[in-house]
Amino acid sequence: MFTAHEAARSKGGVELERISLNQLGSMIVLFLIGSSSLFLLASDAAKDAWIAVFVGMLCGLILLCGVNLALFRLMPDKDLIEMIFELLGKPIGFVICISYVLFFCYESIRNVREFGDLMIMYLLPQTPLAALMLIICLLAVYTVFHGLDVFFRMAEAILPIVIGIYIILFTLIAGSGLLHLENLTPIFDDGFSTVWRAAFPELISFPFGELILFLMFWKHAAKDGKMTSLTVKCYLFSGCFITITNIFIYAGLGNLAGTVAIPLMQLTNLIEFSQFLERIDPFVALLLFTGVFFKLTAYYFGAVLALSKFIKLPSKHIIIIVGAVIYFGSFMFRNYMEQVWLGFQYNVKYHFPLFQIVVPVVLLMLAVIRRRRNEKVLTE
Amino acid sequence: MKKELKISIDADAKELTPLSKELQQNIKMVTEELGTEPDIIIRQLHLYKNSKAALLYIAGMTDANVVNLLVMSIVSEPPLGSEGQEEESAFQTLMYRSLAIGGVQKLESIDEVLLAMLEGNTVVMVDGSVEAIAAYTCGVDRRGVEEPSTQTVVRGPKEGFTESLHTNTSLIRNKIKSTNLRMEYRIIGHQTRTTIAVVFMKNIAEEKVVQEVRRRLDAIDTDSILESGYIEEFIQDKTFTPFPLLQNSERPDAVAAGLLEGQVAIIVDGTPFVLLAPVTFVKFFQSSEDYYQRYDIATFLRIIRFGSFFASMLLPSLYIAITTFHQEMLPTQLLISIAAQREGVPFPALIEAMIMEITFEILREAGVRMPRIIGPAISIVGALVLGQSAVQAGLVSAAMVIVVSFTAIASFVIPSVNMGTAARLIRFALMILAGTFGVFGILAGLMLLLTHLSALRSFGLPYLTPIAPLVPGNLKDVFIRVPWWAMNKRPAGPNQNPSVRQGEPSSLTDKDADSDKKGSDVE
Repeated sequence: MFTAHEAARSKGGVELERISLNQLGSMIVLFLIGSSSLFLLASDAAKDAWIAVFVGMLCGLILLCGVNLALFRLMPDKDLIEMIFELLGKPIGFVICISYVLFFCYESIRNVREFGDLMIMYLLPQTPLAALMLIICLLAVYTVFHGLDVFFRMAEAILPIVIGIYIILFTLIAGSGLLHLENLTPIFDDGFSTVWRAAFPELISFPFGELILFLMFWKHAAKDGKMTSLTVKCYLFSGCFITITNIFIYAGLGNLAGTVAIPLMQLTNLIEFSQFLERIDPFVALLLFTGVFFKLTAYYFGAVLALSKFIKLPSKHIIIIVGAVIYFGSFMFRNYMEQVWLGFQYNVKYHFPLFQIVVPVVLLMLAVIRRRRNEKVLTE
Repeated sequence: MKKELKISIDADAKELTPLSKELQQNIKMVTEELGTEPDIIIRQLHLYKNSKAALLYIAGMTDANVVNLLVMSIVSEPPLGSEGQEEESAFQTLMYRSLAIGGVQKLESIDEVLLAMLEGNTVVMVDGSVEAIAAYTCGVDRRGVEEPSTQTVVRGPKEGFTESLHTNTSLIRNKIKSTNLRMEYRIIGHQTRTTIAVVFMKNIAEEKVVQEVRRRLDAIDTDSILESGYIEEFIQDKTFTPFPLLQNSERPDAVAAGLLEGQVAIIVDGTPFVLLAPVTFVKFFQSSEDYYQRYDIATFLRIIRFGSFFASMLLPSLYIAITTFHQEMLPTQLLISIAAQREGVPFPALIEAMIMEITFEILREAGVRMPRIIGPAISIVGALVLGQSAVQAGLVSAAMVIVVSFTAIASFVIPSVNMGTAARLIRFALMILAGTFGVFGILAGLMLLLTHLSALRSFGLPYLTPIAPLVPGNLKDVFIRVPWWAMNKRPAGPNQNPSVRQGEPSSLTDKDADSDKKGSDVE
């Protein structure tokens, strides 16, 4: 009798559908904006930070179109791991793939840890870090268990809310007269070299080069010619969005912007609107939460998808293993400062470009060479 | 009429016992099975030419007038002067000529006879024949068509479904007079043998969904179905969810509207609540009245409803989180006033809120279950003793009473009771999260809900359609309700393509009829 009931309840004929373009676009925007709009990116360039962000975005665009998307177009049925194995062969490919899994895990870990620390700093000073990080990791595990299509649908549902909150925040900031555009002048005071140094390679590594992760997802998107142009559009939208946020933060806070942990939170604190809307920082907490959550879960997904390509284990086990690695990995920094220092001094300059630029470029060259050779064989 | 007379025995049932040629032998077999209780009526009749017949039925299950008519037509047999009388047997005369009744069926075994009687038919047996006749005389005393007690409207039809399946199907047929309206009957429940009708529009409902409904209904293997809730739990896609995955309605107009948008209705005999599948999250915020009154007011009410849903889910937890962890978020004046009220309260905000919420849930349950006569007593106890006195005694703060009352009122705004219940359950979980982790706890809870909602499906249709996956054409009837002339397409989802609802816009206002066509054809 029990089996009959099970049969009655089980869903029939529902196969995992492909990710629609709209969902893919939503995810790209959420992923790129992530938490990066809350911070002052390229703070080294001070008042020219927004120019640095813009320059970084353009460089990232070259990387995206010239390398990542080109790579995908050459092999549209393969994800990053399959490409690596195909182009580099077993032994080398294995090493590189393992390092990609670790890279994805590490990115996820950074998000978990950053979120935990900021929450303690701003909202819950007395709650243990381990508990906060456990909750966000469990949430991520729950999401990953439900599969890629559910995750992308979530992005689609939540993007309008996130954008809506940003628009409200910006309107309120502008409406309360907090914007002092004179903070941004004179432009290029320190010359273009400062801007360039702030933009490259830091801004490629974070956040613009991070789209390398989507080489794991594009394969699952709906087969549609518009995918490339949609990706680029969403990229440009997010890039401009981050630039505008950057302008808002610096114009609102001036030199203070470089010294506080979450400048946007600081800025919204100053909003005073007809003595009613005063302290709306929980909205910023909401943005921080969604941004970080989507980013860490996306990387988590990347790691799980990558690992499942060369380890023959039930996907449940892989999800739990990767989840455990991320959770316990988040304890490896002694404190928030160490996390930020390690990230900006070393990772962004030396480690991330390896995964985001060097390997993809090598892969692209190999793919092009191989294609030429194939074409030659065909013509002969 | 023929359809409901279909008396069928499960294929895997025991060997059928054939009827005997002896009338008395057959009657004895029936009384052995059903007993000789007073409500088992066996009327013996003498026919023309000394042949004998018997009429068997269960009193109370049959319509007395119809049975009287039946008796009359049997005893007056044969019609005088009719020809061809000689060749016919008494059985054939009754079966094909003289029974003054709409639906008859030939029965060949004693098991079929018993079943026919239990379903309210009258069985006519003739001595010397191994066959019997079941005449459709069902007629149970049932409530008439009344105004539905739930899902009430100010403007709109005031009729509601009743407990009788046939009344219900006729109410739907009266709304949709189309040859495309299909009703498929089946019997579920080994003991209760409840009749269930699957109703759908052949040209609108998607064949895959109808198939799936059939498949799941056929897979039910239980001995009793007493209400549509039984069916709902058997066939919903996922059990562990607070959200309803099937819609239920007491209103024929709501069901008809659902059918016309491609939903499949499941009517269960014995309950006025009709199930509709598949369903999406936003459906539960639509009331049939939205379509009967002006679209701008309907839009406003939609927004009020969504707001109330979130308020009834979130308000107590936000109060707890802010008063416990984030006092700095309140404007200073408000903070001082709340702090002054909470000064004498001996409990932390979480406990205070829990006490009040549970008190309210108890009051509400008492309000539903208690005899109507003692209603006023409850309101006095509830309002005065538990509300005012609790504040005066310093057990809870006045602000908390306001929060709880508003939450309670807000939860009644949602047109669908089962969605309101979901919000109630989630509210308690969120309160605990807010009491332990503040705003972060609430955010985590909401993110969990979002994951859960995104993963839910109702008969294969993602629960958050048309928000995720986004179906731009359907957004005309979610947060806003556009005027009728602008809804030229049926909402995409459970229906076939192309699903044009109406032709060219009948209003003179200009609008983008072309852009509609692209949006809706996603599914």
